[in-house]
Amino acid sequence: MKKKLIAGILTIAALGAALSGCGGTDASGTGADGAVKVTIWGPVDTDAAEAWWEEKIPEFNKAHKGKIELSREAIIRADSYAYEDKVNAAVTSNDLPDILYVDGPNVSNYAANGIIQPIDSIFPEAELTDFVDSVKVQGTYDGELYAMSATESSVGLYYNKDMTEAAGIEVPTKIEDAWTWSEYYDAAKKLTKDGVLGTNVIMDKGEGIPYALEPFWVSNGTDYISEDATTADGYINGEKSVEAVNFLNKLIKEGIAPLEPLQDAFGNGTVATLLGGSWEIANLETNFPDLNWGLTYYPVADNNGKNASPTGDWAATITASSEKYDEAAEVMTWLMNEENVTSYAKVLSKLPTRNSSYETLTEFNEYPRSIMKEQSMVSGSPRPRTPSYTVLSTGISEALLNIFSGADVQTELDALAQEYDEDFQSNYAE
Amino acid sequence: MNKGKGTKGAEKRAAYIFLFPAVALLLLFLILPSISTIRFAFTNYNILRPNNIGFIGFDNFIKLFHSSEFRQAIGNTFYFSLIVVPVQCLLALALALLVSSRKKGVSIFRAAYFSPQVTSMVVISILWTVLYNSSATNGLINAILAKFGIGPIGFLTDPGASMNSIIFMSAWQAAGYQMMIFLAGLQGIPREQYEAASIDGAGKFQQLLHVTLPGLRNVIKYVVMITLIQAMKLFTQPYVMTKGGPQNSTRTMVYFIYEQGFQKRNFGYACAAAAVFFVIVVSLSLAMKRIIKTD
Repeated sequence: MKKKLIAGILTIAALGAALSGCGGTDASGTGADGAVKVTIWGPVDTDAAEAWWEEKIPEFNKAHKGKIELSREAIIRADSYAYEDKVNAAVTSNDLPDILYVDGPNVSNYAANGIIQPIDSIFPEAELTDFVDSVKVQGTYDGELYAMSATESSVGLYYNKDMTEAAGIEVPTKIEDAWTWSEYYDAAKKLTKDGVLGTNVIMDKGEGIPYALEPFWVSNGTDYISEDATTADGYINGEKSVEAVNFLNKLIKEGIAPLEPLQDAFGNGTVATLLGGSWEIANLETNFPDLNWGLTYYPVADNNGKNASPTGDWAATITASSEKYDEAAEVMTWLMNEENVTSYAKVLSKLPTRNSSYETLTEFNEYPRSIMKEQSMVSGSPRPRTPSYTVLSTGISEALLNIFSGADVQTELDALAQEYDEDFQSNYAE
Repeated sequence: MNKGKGTKGAEKRAAYIFLFPAVALLLLFLILPSISTIRFAFTNYNILRPNNIGFIGFDNFIKLFHSSEFRQAIGNTFYFSLIVVPVQCLLALALALLVSSRKKGVSIFRAAYFSPQVTSMVVISILWTVLYNSSATNGLINAILAKFGIGPIGFLTDPGASMNSIIFMSAWQAAGYQMMIFLAGLQGIPREQYEAASIDGAGKFQQLLHVTLPGLRNVIKYVVMITLIQAMKLFTQPYVMTKGGPQNSTRTMVYFIYEQGFQKRNFGYACAAAAVFFVIVVSLSLAMKRIIKTD
């Protein structure tokens, strides 16, 4: 009997220990040597970028020994909203890190909900002038700076040179000659043969859709929502938006572009052209060295549509719940210093956000990277800054996928406009 | 029989102590969250604002009953359950009968049929997304169909086909587990019954009908019940493969709850949906229990 009792007590003790273990990150926040622990959360990145972090963090810790102990947790993103789900859950349980990487358009949402705090004081005016405008626009909400990023992105049209040459297709080499939708359609149609599809516009079933396809709206003289973000009615379901959707739908309906996202379809030669991100250059160079490919500008709307291309990237923020603002600020300054911005952009083959970095990264003056640089400077258009972005983002990918699989265009877009307006009105209207 | 009263009292005490861990865990991870869910269902809880929760009465429920999306999610869940339960159970029974013989090498087949069960559903879903790809160049199944001049079929892109594609894959994945339970049940049928039946001149099929199936009655009840409850909770497959689309055709109740609560951050609304889901599943389980008891 005694044995049983002891066993029972042990079980309870073990249970108690297990439960207290669920308490999350330690509250004290200081390491053995008295250093303040600062944690970064970011999405799992490419191998090269992960290696960059593994090299840089010990360097930082060595330089700040006894003062700051930096660590980073990489969280899986899974081409979906898995990372945002984790952040949401952490908000509820008060487990957010000090420095949180967020995707550009989510900055407004987190700022409006008081999850992140302004960082104006970390970046004085003199420092800010070195950063490109798009990254400052992306990081600002309600007049205050909340996020800063080391890299920018763009999307261009990759093409398989062997295939375009065989089909006798001339590809534009200047931004003012960028293909119009009709020219793009004709080329893609011509390239669709022998089981190869002409183009690929679907990056993934999540954020990749609103991110990569927004220029179809902007170039056609409209956007997903109004400039002041208060309404989507008359924008996403307006006439010009319907034109953009109809064009994309035509590509998929006629079997010129696949409906399902497919890893490395362009590299494997099963699609002839690809609307792909600036990071795709590194992927093609590393994993498909034998592929004969080229890069051209994002297509523009017929009838003198203006040039437009996606921008935005993951950006660092300081959470409102962090009690280590000064230390986090020091980490931020270090992350965004010229040396780190340059080397980070280099390993990711992404566009740096500091103008001065281009002096070192001369490869961006040469084709094909020069195309991405030019687009980011000349035609970059950030995604809408709205606290209701999460509803907009999921809504757009869902509505478009529905339309591409046969749903009525106007009905889907009207429903989306209504959903957006309801969310904005009930959560963020003054 | 000379145990004193004191020992009994001590035994009782020990029993409570042993009960404590289970009860504590259930309370902490099941009962308390359920109560919170019901409480939040009456609020406008936005997941990013845990400190700013307002009571809004039945608004969430009213919105829910007017939502065609939620109605469709209920419909989809029932459709999936009603098809997948018989398909999966029959498949499992057929496999169990196939591998129950004591022939040489049969254990290889047992392991093979069971193997999808030990693989993560996420991995299987990703694999099948590739198999199901709608183009003949990129999708294996469509490539094979194209050889016979069929297709291509949009397994996951045609709203009429997507749920059936998920049903087929789910039945294939899960049947191995039920097969194991059926196998155990088959071992429990006395061999004498088969011998007696064959002496009476019963053929293989008659033996199946009059000996095997009645012998398995209780196992079948159990398998149908757990399969049904599992089926009602369908989430991983639509999450990985279709995101509830196309055109809501694979949005299930649990996916709807996840989407509203986490992606769209209307946690209160999601809790209301979860409460409705809870009521549906509990009434279904009670109904099943009754049906089974009447025997």
